[in-house]
Amino acid sequence: MQCKSCNTELPKHAKVCPKCGAQVGKKKSDNIMVVAIVGLVMLFIAGMLPFVQNADVEMISDAYSFMNIDVPAMWYLYMLALIVAIVLVAIKNEKLSIIPTCIAGVIYVVSFLAMNFRGYTGRKSFTLHTLTDLLSNGANGESYKIGLSVFFVVIGLILAIAGCFFDILKYFKKESTVDAKYLTNSINKNIWAKIYYYRWFYVMFLPVFIMILLFNYWPMMGCRYAFTKYIIRDPYYVGLKHFHQMFTNDTFFWLAFRNTLILSIVKLILNTGAAVIISLLLNELTNMAFKKTVQTIVYLPHFMSWVVVASIFRLILSVNGSGMVNQLLTSAHLIKEPIFFLGDVKYWRGTFFFINVWKDTGWSTILFLATLSGISPDLYEAAQIDGANRWKRLLYITLPALANTIITVFILNLAKVMNLFESVFVTMNDAVLDVSNVLQTYVYRKTFGGGNSDYGYTTAVGLFKSFVGMILVLGCNYASKKVRGRGIV
Amino acid sequence: MSKEQVVVMNKKKKKVKIFPIVNAIIFILISLMIMLPIWKVIVDSFDKTAGYGMNFWPQHFTFGGYGEVVSKVALYRPFIISCIVTIAGTFLGLLLATLGAYVLIQWEMPGRNFFAYMLLFTMIFDGGMIPKYLVMKNLHLLNTLWSVILPLSINVYNLVLMRNFFEGIPEALFEAAEIDGCSPMGTFFRIVLPLSKAALASIGLMFAVQFWNDYTNFKIYVTDNKLFNFQIKLRNMVMDNDIPNNADGIDPNTISNAAVIVAILPFAIIYPFCQNYFVQGVNIGAVKE
Repeated sequence: MQCKSCNTELPKHAKVCPKCGAQVGKKKSDNIMVVAIVGLVMLFIAGMLPFVQNADVEMISDAYSFMNIDVPAMWYLYMLALIVAIVLVAIKNEKLSIIPTCIAGVIYVVSFLAMNFRGYTGRKSFTLHTLTDLLSNGANGESYKIGLSVFFVVIGLILAIAGCFFDILKYFKKESTVDAKYLTNSINKNIWAKIYYYRWFYVMFLPVFIMILLFNYWPMMGCRYAFTKYIIRDPYYVGLKHFHQMFTNDTFFWLAFRNTLILSIVKLILNTGAAVIISLLLNELTNMAFKKTVQTIVYLPHFMSWVVVASIFRLILSVNGSGMVNQLLTSAHLIKEPIFFLGDVKYWRGTFFFINVWKDTGWSTILFLATLSGISPDLYEAAQIDGANRWKRLLYITLPALANTIITVFILNLAKVMNLFESVFVTMNDAVLDVSNVLQTYVYRKTFGGGNSDYGYTTAVGLFKSFVGMILVLGCNYASKKVRGRGIV
Repeated sequence: MSKEQVVVMNKKKKKVKIFPIVNAIIFILISLMIMLPIWKVIVDSFDKTAGYGMNFWPQHFTFGGYGEVVSKVALYRPFIISCIVTIAGTFLGLLLATLGAYVLIQWEMPGRNFFAYMLLFTMIFDGGMIPKYLVMKNLHLLNTLWSVILPLSINVYNLVLMRNFFEGIPEALFEAAEIDGCSPMGTFFRIVLPLSKAALASIGLMFAVQFWNDYTNFKIYVTDNKLFNFQIKLRNMVMDNDIPNNADGIDPNTISNAAVIVAILPFAIIYPFCQNYFVQGVNIGAVKE
C-alpha cells in the first residue's frame, strides 16, 4: 500500500502516513452524508408544495403554501437557510449544518402558525385567512386538508438531523490519535489571519461570484414559478395544478419526453460508434500528410453553428431545382418524386441523425485518437511475431485499450441527454412536430410561440426536464466513479 | 511447398497490401462527403441563377451574392454585431475564467471548497429556459447585447479547464514568487498568465466559437431586429426568405449561400492555424477531470 499524498510505502494496517501525516486507509463513509442531503432536498421541495389544499381533487389549484403568506421574505429566508445547510453538508461540515437546518424548521413552523394566508381569487385580488380558519371553516365553505408539504418537512427534518447527528456522535469518539497539526501542511494560522492573508483572492472571486448568483442561482430560485399561474406579471400560487395537468392531460408533453430520449440516445450511439470506427481506421493510415489533411477536414464541421449546418442541408436537400440530392436521386431514377427530407415524418429522424453524424463524428474522434496513440507499439510487434493478423490485433489489443475511453465518452454524453435543443430547433418544422418536438423546443414554442402563455406551466415542464437531467448527471457521476475512479463533475 | 500453401501465402500478402488502399479510399470518400455540401454551397454562392441542380462549377459567375452581404445594411449590421459580441464576450469570458480558476487553486484559502462546490452545483442543476428569461426580464436586459454576452461569459466548464491548466504549474514557482515578495496579484500577472499562454489561446478560441455561433440566446432574449446577430439573420434568410430586394437579377438563394459562407469564413480561416489549440482543449478536458 502506498500513501496517496507522498507515495511512500506504508506498513500494513497504517491509519496515518508516518512521513507526511496524511490519513490513509478507508475513507469516511458517505452514506450518512447522502441521508442528510436527501433530507435537506426534501425540505427544499417542501418549501414549494401546498401546505393546505382543497380536499376535492378536482380543485387542485385551490391551495396554500409558503408563497401565499403575507411576508414573502420568509420564503426566501427558509430557502437560503436550506441552501447554506446543503453546502455545509457538501463540504463535509455536517456539525455546523444542523444550525441552518433548525433555523429553517423554526421559520417553517412560525410562518404557518403566525402568518396570514392570501387566498387568491384572481391576479391581484385575494382574501386573508389564518391557518385555523382554513382548516376548521374553510375559505368559501369548502373543506381543506393538510397538503404534501407537511409530510415532506417532517420526513426531511428527521433525515437531515439524523444524518448530521450521526456525524456529531462520530466527532465525540475520535479514532485518530494523531495530533491535528500533522494532518495538514498549512501554517496553522487562525482563520481570521488566513482570511486577511487571502483578502485579494476574495476580491478576485467577486465578479465570478456575482455572475454565478445572477445567472445560475437566481434562475434556480425561479423554479417556484412552476407552482404559480404567471401570465405576463403578478404570479399567484396554484399548487400542483401544472404538474397534475402535465402528467395526466398533456399528450404533447409525453410525446416530447419520448422524442427527447429517442433522439438523443440514438444520436449518442450512432455518433460514438461512427467515431470509434473512424478513429480506428485513421490510426491505420501511415502517410502522415494524408492523415493530417483528413483530420483537418473531418474536424471542420464542428466549428459551424447549428444554424449554418441546418442552412447548408436545407439548401442541398431542397425539393425544387436547386436541391442537389433530390436532383441526383431523380436523375439516377432511384426515386420518381423529390423527397422532403426535412419535411416528411418518415425521413426526418434519419436525416437528423445523418446531419449529427456529419457534424460531430470527426470532432469526437480526438479523444479516441489520443488513447490509440498511447498504446505501446511493442504490443503490436509482439502480437505480429506471434502470428496475430490485423483483425486479431484489433480484437485483443486495440479494443480492450479503447474500452475505457468509449465508456467515459458515453457516460459524459449520457449526462447531457436532456439538454437537446438547438440542433433540433433549427432542423424541425411544423410538419414533423410529432417526431421532432423535444422537451426544450416544446417549452420554447409554447412560451414564445405567440399569445399570452402561462410561464408557470412551461417552467413546470422545464423543472421536470432539469430534474431528470440532474438524476442523469448524478447517476453518470456515480457510474463514472465506479468505472474510472473519478467523477464527471 | 505444396500448391495450397503457396495460395494461402499469396492471399495473405495480397490482403496486407490491399488494406491501406481500401482505407485510403474510405477516407477520400469520407472527406468528399464532408466537403461536398460545403463545396456545393460555395459554388452556388457564385452562381447568378437559381437552377443550380447538379452543377459543381458556377454557370453564370458573379460576386453579386457577396456584394449584397457587404453592401446591404440589413446584412452587414448583423455581421458587425456578431463581431462585437464575439470580441467582448471572449474577453470577458477569459477574464472570469482565469480569475475564478486562480482562486480555485488556492487550496488553503478559507471558503475555497464552498466556492468550488457552488460552481460545480451549477453543472448538476439548471434553472431552465423560462426562469432564465424571467431573470433577464427582471434585470431589464432584454433586447440589449448584455443579455447575450453576460450569461455565456460565465462558463463553469471552461473555468474548470483553466483550473486544470493552472494546476500543472509547479508549486515551487508560487513559493519562490512569494519568498521574493510577490503579491498574489503580482504572482497572477507575472507567473501564472505568462505560463499559460497556450491555455488562454485554447479556451479563448472555445469562447470565441461559442459566441460567434450563439443562436439560442439571441433567439430568446433579443427581439429587436436591429440587434440580430449573423446567425439569426442567416436563419431568417434561409427559412423565411427574409432577403432584401436587389435589382441585379441575383437569385435570393445565391445571397443565402453567400451568407452561409460568410458565417463559416472567420473560423474556416483561423482554424487550420490553430487546430492544435482546439485539440489541446478537448484533451485536457477529458484527461484531467
